[in-house]
Amino acid sequence: MSDNSLPASASLRRKSPGVARWLPLAKSIGWASLSIGLFVAFWEFAWWRGWANPLLLPPPHIFLANLTEQFRFFDPNGERIGALSEGGSFFSVLGVIGWSSLRVFLGLLIGFVASVIVGVAIRYFGIFGKLTLPLITMLAPISPVAWLPVAIFVFGIGNPPAIFLVFISIFFVMVLATLAQIDAVPRHYIQLARVMGASKRQIFLRVILPAILPGLFVTLRMNLFGAWMVVLIAEAVGVGSGLGQVTMMARNTFNASLVFFTMTLIGLTGFLFDQALRLIQRKVLWWIQPSNIGAL
Amino acid sequence: MLGLSITNVSKVWNPDGPDPVPAVTNLTLDVKPGEFVVLLGPSGCGKSSLLYIVAGLEDATSGTVTFDGLPVKEPSPERGLIFQEAALFPWLSVRDNVGFGLSIKGGQPGARAEKIDKLLRMVGLGGAGDKRPDELSGGMRQRAALARALAMDPKVLLMDEPFAALDIQTRARMQDHLLAIWRASGASVLLVTHSIDEALALADRIVVFTARPGQIKAEISIDAPRPRDLRGPEMIDLARRCEALLAEEVTKAFQEQELL
Repeated sequence: MSDNSLPASASLRRKSPGVARWLPLAKSIGWASLSIGLFVAFWEFAWWRGWANPLLLPPPHIFLANLTEQFRFFDPNGERIGALSEGGSFFSVLGVIGWSSLRVFLGLLIGFVASVIVGVAIRYFGIFGKLTLPLITMLAPISPVAWLPVAIFVFGIGNPPAIFLVFISIFFVMVLATLAQIDAVPRHYIQLARVMGASKRQIFLRVILPAILPGLFVTLRMNLFGAWMVVLIAEAVGVGSGLGQVTMMARNTFNASLVFFTMTLIGLTGFLFDQALRLIQRKVLWWIQPSNIGAL
Repeated sequence: MLGLSITNVSKVWNPDGPDPVPAVTNLTLDVKPGEFVVLLGPSGCGKSSLLYIVAGLEDATSGTVTFDGLPVKEPSPERGLIFQEAALFPWLSVRDNVGFGLSIKGGQPGARAEKIDKLLRMVGLGGAGDKRPDELSGGMRQRAALARALAMDPKVLLMDEPFAALDIQTRARMQDHLLAIWRASGASVLLVTHSIDEALALADRIVVFTARPGQIKAEISIDAPRPRDLRGPEMIDLARRCEALLAEEVTKAFQEQELL
């Protein structure tokens, strides 16, 4: 990273912008590796001491040992639950991850856009608000899992119920967050815009929208993990493909190695999703300091 | 009639509620074009309410406000507004903040950019146009807010305790700045403050308010040329007068609060 072997001090950082830029990243990668490494080490130690049954809690060196064997269970086009299928390559694993990610992504996208539109409509059109807000407040606490049968009744088996569940898992929360954000827009912003001659439409597009987006994005990120949980449940129950389906199959076939391998993939994918959202947040909402939720 | 004319204005907050709050009662005040008027009074005396009514952001419960002979019904760029906190939009650069009103108005982008540059230099922010508002100090932010208001070529600047959040040194500099800008622009200023020194340093005319509901208790014209020496005998006399007038009102306000 740096050809400088001196210890990093404040004065050194000032002199060499390259080090100043990379050092924090290197540090956080170091801590992240240590954090995961300690956990893995403890697990391996427990196996070595014989505390952890390798059939039930196989440590990483076992479930990561025979990757091609594991890959066989990943079939991106899988409709046949349980059997070994056409999977088997690294790309079929990526395909399975891709399906789950696509469902999460579409659900989040539709949910985000729809909830902001509905939230804004509630605040802007009084009658619409009076008609919908009580209903939304009542539906909000219902767990997305409870919507699963409804999703299958309405959409059948396949992608739509999974996307619908992700949508449901963020929609109500995000509507309420939108209302809270709109109410929190400083009055002075709106008053100043009015004084400078802005129309209602201009006030919305150029003041209210940029003022509420950062908060909504944080809410979206916090609900990302919830969305991942929900999509796995949907896939396990009845989509026929995706990481959730692989997990369910592994459970049914008592394949502990596959369970942990899939869990690792889920963790990594969720982490990458969060990083992607953070990147979008930094680029699109540049005036907001990046928050410190999550590693790195 | 040119200038600002406030006639018999009363304002009651929450008039139909169980606990109506009279903010201003039967207030009459004229501000001539180019005049610098300072509203001085204890906090919560309705000075700010009056400013909002003049801005057109709130309706008076009764009475009329006219500007250059026309009744004030809604906000207008000719009545610029400045709050205690700068309230710059954090998602815009300083330059875009100053140009916000101009971009609403439309017009040639080139001419707009030129005007923004001129304004930024005028308030001493020539090099800070591309910064984010949160990179500026409090005084710089308030100067950017001033430039944003001036961009609309206002005929009157309404200022609600504009320097109250700044430290004393910055405050004095900002007051000098404001006087220079006021002279150059020819706009009149209606400035709310609870600081006697600020009123004495700035005003052509000080209007002392009573405790809530706000009424005019006294008007003091100051002819002394600026910059004024606040430690000179004339200013010290005026300061004592203001202090005496205010002290009565503060006592009244406290007694009222104790009754509650």
